[in-house]
Amino acid sequence: MKAKEFKVTWGMVIDLDKCTGCGACMTACQVENNIAPMVDASNKMRTLSWMLVYELSNKKSGAEAEVAYLPRPCMQCGNPACVPVCPVIATDKNEEGGIVSQVYPRCIGCRYCMAACPYHARYFNWEDPIFPKGMEKALSPNTSARPRGVVEKCNFCHTRFMQAKDKARQDGGDPEALADGAYMPACAEICPTGAISFGDVKNKEHKVFDLAQGKDAFRLLEKLGLNPQVYYVSKREWVRKLGDNYAATGKPGAAKKHS
Amino acid sequence: MDQKLQERWGEVMEEKKQCKGCGGALPFLIGFVAALIAGWVLFPNLLYSKKVQPIRFSHKIHQEQGMECASCHVFRDDGSYAGLPKNEKCQECHADVVGSDPAEKIYVEQYAQKDKEVPWLVYQYQPDNVFFSHKAHESFECKECHLEVGKMDTPPVYYENRLSGYSKQTMKMWQCERCHAENGVSNACHVCHK
Amino acid sequence: MGLDRRGFVKIVVGGVAGTLFTPVIWKSLDDVSIWSQNWPWIPRLNKGEVKAKAALSKLCPAGCAVKVKTVGGLPFAVAGNTANPMSKGGVCPVCAAGAQLMYSPARVKSPLKKVGEGKFEAIKWEDAEALLVEKLTALKGQNGKIAAINGDETGTAGEVISGLLAGLGNSGYYMMPGEKFVAEKGVKLMGGSGQPGFDIAGADLVLMIGADALDSWGATVANQKAFAATRPTGAAATAKFVYAGPVLNHTAAVSDKFLPVPPQATVAFALGLANLLINDGAVSSASDFSEYKALAAKYTAEEVEKATGLKAENMKELAAMIKAAKAPVVIAGASFGQGGGALDFVAGASLNVLLGRVGSGMTLLPSAPKAVAGVSASDKDAGSFLADVATGKAAPGALIVYEANPAYALPQADDMAKTLGNIAFKVSFSTYMDETAALCDLILPAPHPYERFDDALNPYGVAKSTYLAGKPVVKKPVMDCKDPVDVLLGAATKLGLSLGFDTYADVISAKAKALGADLDALTAGGIWTGDAKGGSLNLGASALAKAAVVKTDDKTLAVAPVSNLAFGTATLATPPANLLAIRETELVGKELLVQMNAATAKKAGVAEGAKVKLSAGKGELKARVHLNEGVAPGTVAVLLGFGRSAWDEYTKGKGDNVYKILTVSDEAGTGLKVWAGSTVTVAKV
Repeated sequence: MKAKEFKVTWGMVIDLDKCTGCGACMTACQVENNIAPMVDASNKMRTLSWMLVYELSNKKSGAEAEVAYLPRPCMQCGNPACVPVCPVIATDKNEEGGIVSQVYPRCIGCRYCMAACPYHARYFNWEDPIFPKGMEKALSPNTSARPRGVVEKCNFCHTRFMQAKDKARQDGGDPEALADGAYMPACAEICPTGAISFGDVKNKEHKVFDLAQGKDAFRLLEKLGLNPQVYYVSKREWVRKLGDNYAATGKPGAAKKHS
Repeated sequence: MDQKLQERWGEVMEEKKQCKGCGGALPFLIGFVAALIAGWVLFPNLLYSKKVQPIRFSHKIHQEQGMECASCHVFRDDGSYAGLPKNEKCQECHADVVGSDPAEKIYVEQYAQKDKEVPWLVYQYQPDNVFFSHKAHESFECKECHLEVGKMDTPPVYYENRLSGYSKQTMKMWQCERCHAENGVSNACHVCHK
Repeated sequence: MGLDRRGFVKIVVGGVAGTLFTPVIWKSLDDVSIWSQNWPWIPRLNKGEVKAKAALSKLCPAGCAVKVKTVGGLPFAVAGNTANPMSKGGVCPVCAAGAQLMYSPARVKSPLKKVGEGKFEAIKWEDAEALLVEKLTALKGQNGKIAAINGDETGTAGEVISGLLAGLGNSGYYMMPGEKFVAEKGVKLMGGSGQPGFDIAGADLVLMIGADALDSWGATVANQKAFAATRPTGAAATAKFVYAGPVLNHTAAVSDKFLPVPPQATVAFALGLANLLINDGAVSSASDFSEYKALAAKYTAEEVEKATGLKAENMKELAAMIKAAKAPVVIAGASFGQGGGALDFVAGASLNVLLGRVGSGMTLLPSAPKAVAGVSASDKDAGSFLADVATGKAAPGALIVYEANPAYALPQADDMAKTLGNIAFKVSFSTYMDETAALCDLILPAPHPYERFDDALNPYGVAKSTYLAGKPVVKKPVMDCKDPVDVLLGAATKLGLSLGFDTYADVISAKAKALGADLDALTAGGIWTGDAKGGSLNLGASALAKAAVVKTDDKTLAVAPVSNLAFGTATLATPPANLLAIRETELVGKELLVQMNAATAKKAGVAEGAKVKLSAGKGELKARVHLNEGVAPGTVAVLLGFGRSAWDEYTKGKGDNVYKILTVSDEAGTGLKVWAGSTVTVAKV
């Protein structure tokens, strides 16, 4: 099955040498997407962490020890594993921009997509969202609340994309050709070190175009051929090797140009 | 004895044969028509509850004052649409009672002066999971989707679906999809869902 | 014709057939499916105009200019203020959850009066304020009877509290321990005065000794932005960052070099480095250079390795990096924002003097004009004061606690809580039901930062005099609260004092005017900056000479508390939205995991996952062990912010409070109370 081609492809480039692991992106994501706080969030099989920061280590000690932090949103794969397995087409990659959609009213909660995703980027609502009394007044208008029994995942703050298009129309611009920075997901907007860059990887005027093709750029699990739209950059070789140990190309180097 | 039974049996069959034409189809037709009436007349009455707007707002009076649609229903700087105006807009004129209509008095006393927003019933109610952009639909006439309240003196009755909580005028997905398809606009899920 | 069975069946069949031609079935199915997805307990979104309002977010000690996004007037998210030159659009993980914290279940809903052990009764504001005035009137004029503990280092509220106390004839105004207090003492030992500042943005090499500058030290977001500016993605870095401290923390993760230095070995590390620099030709015109040089010479490579575990080549590499830098700056501080010794500060700061960076990399801020008369700075911190109360040296009859949590965030916390509990009358001005409020006799709820006027003068670490101010983002607070300063000013009037103001907004107005700042520009998200003052410092050699050599043995480990800003601060428990950022290597269920490296664990006789008890003084902490090679030798790293005993179900009872096992000792030669080099014994459970 040939993957769809889009004129605009929203992608992220995350600089792992600048991510301090502070977790602001995780919090901003929770806030923007109305994810109810969990009383026992230490059970990682139950937390809804659309954006999740992993801790990587070079497994050395003392002054040789190094740690890196890797924020992982949904990869919005160019050739997603989750889309073909959905029995009800609750998830699809059919919109200009390449964001894989997840429609909550249609999802039946079978979780095949969760099994298919190699990045563990999809989460299941085991419970209805319970907010502490009064906190419903602090809900973001950008994302609907999901009942229990549906799968959810990062959607690059898609509502902000729609709002950016409206602003472009209001200002007399072209909603199909947004300027760099007109549309920023919550995580990219809030990162205090600016480790997360976001934009159209096919548009020469967006900074991610060059960043994604840099010599230190890599993608996770490149060899699976899912064509993820999230790139990582690190000057440290041990971090780059953790992407997929260079299995895709057999040697270190830049990730394949996003097709 | 047998003969009498046989005769009686024949009579009954004759009776039956006589009514076959009407006794056969009539109950079916009765049931059919009754179901049609129940389905098309009774069911909607049961399903929809009638509600009235909290204030008997008259567009006609405001139009006669020289106001236009865009006086209250405007696009904001960020491209979002201020659908139903808030107290801030109404209070530009109605901070105090300026007319003689009792409805206005109710508004000023119960809402404006108490700093309480009017809980208008939205005819074109859409649930939280729908994203609709008025800006993208700017080129259409309002009346293509909305009731023409602009010329009305009283707001139309609001029919609320008792089961789903939606309004009778709430556009369902197929209506949006059809128009999108006719106009060559994407019907991708994310275009309308959030 | 009667209705017989056949007729009845025909009617029914006709009815069914007819129903198929009506919308009944299809519509009902559709509506039921919608009904089944819209349960009444699923929250509905708020609608309305989306605005971004400027606010000053003081949820962490620094204070940042942010934009609070509101929908229909209701705050729902926090974004950065890109126009503010200090925060430059950055937001820390605590402020990211700021809007949700307005509805935190731990918020105090109304004034509360204690009616029994752990029991409170809601009372009206008039009664609460009357009670406060009554208690203060009874002790008016008796010095030592009224005391106040302030947890807000930057707000002008401190002047009001100090002025109020002075007006009541009391000098007992104490700050919660922090970097500023220690640093100012350090500066004094170096022959200077004032609050030191550090110019990270203008440096091409930043050596952080202990100071966790990119997560919890100083104006964190401003520091992160300065760091980010030197690391354009995909291009070469324009500055080097080196972190020398007990734990490979968030700052160390992105630094070019991490050097594990146990918490008690900071002086040895800094002077060992000074020795290498001097041998390489560094000279200072400070008056005590020869003394300093002789002192540094004692810290040979072997001595440094003995104290820190660092090999000679690591130190030499660092010295070479510093020599090659054109604008190096050394920032010294405790790794968790308090408890460090003045000598640790002096040792690090002396490197700036040696490198000739005073006035550029390291600055001194002039003292600012006061808005309230009668203000005096205290000589002791809150911990020392409570220690005096415990021994009977101080005997206050009333204690005012403003935005502080001494019952949780002071070393030997359980003891401190007990001492606090014994004071006759305690009133807490707090937004949340924290450990201290839970002990108090009167709780006066303070508004959340986005619900009040507030200001921030010279957050610790800024290189120039800096002033920020903010106004409320909502018309009225979510809970029934009043601005604490307004309450204190009201009480002052009733006590017969005239501090000159009616509200906090007036005080801030006056402060801005005194500084020459435009308050409207500030509350719109702007900033006022002034010049640093000149002045030279000496190398603090005479003070450093008294530095003690701390010995550790296999039975005791140095404890390094680690701050992770996402998990809250001393005054703020982990915001519910941040709970999922806690890793499985940090907290599992309700058990805290403490970190030590494999060699340390072997010596202590414990393994991965072992249940242990860390004890020191009267406190003990229960946890499990996690092996982490990023912890310095002979050290156990423990996360701050756990072991809450008040607040709400999201944070209560998770893990244990590391403040319980910090012990206080006197720093050699300075008389300062220190606890950054605390030791603990480890026992298997």
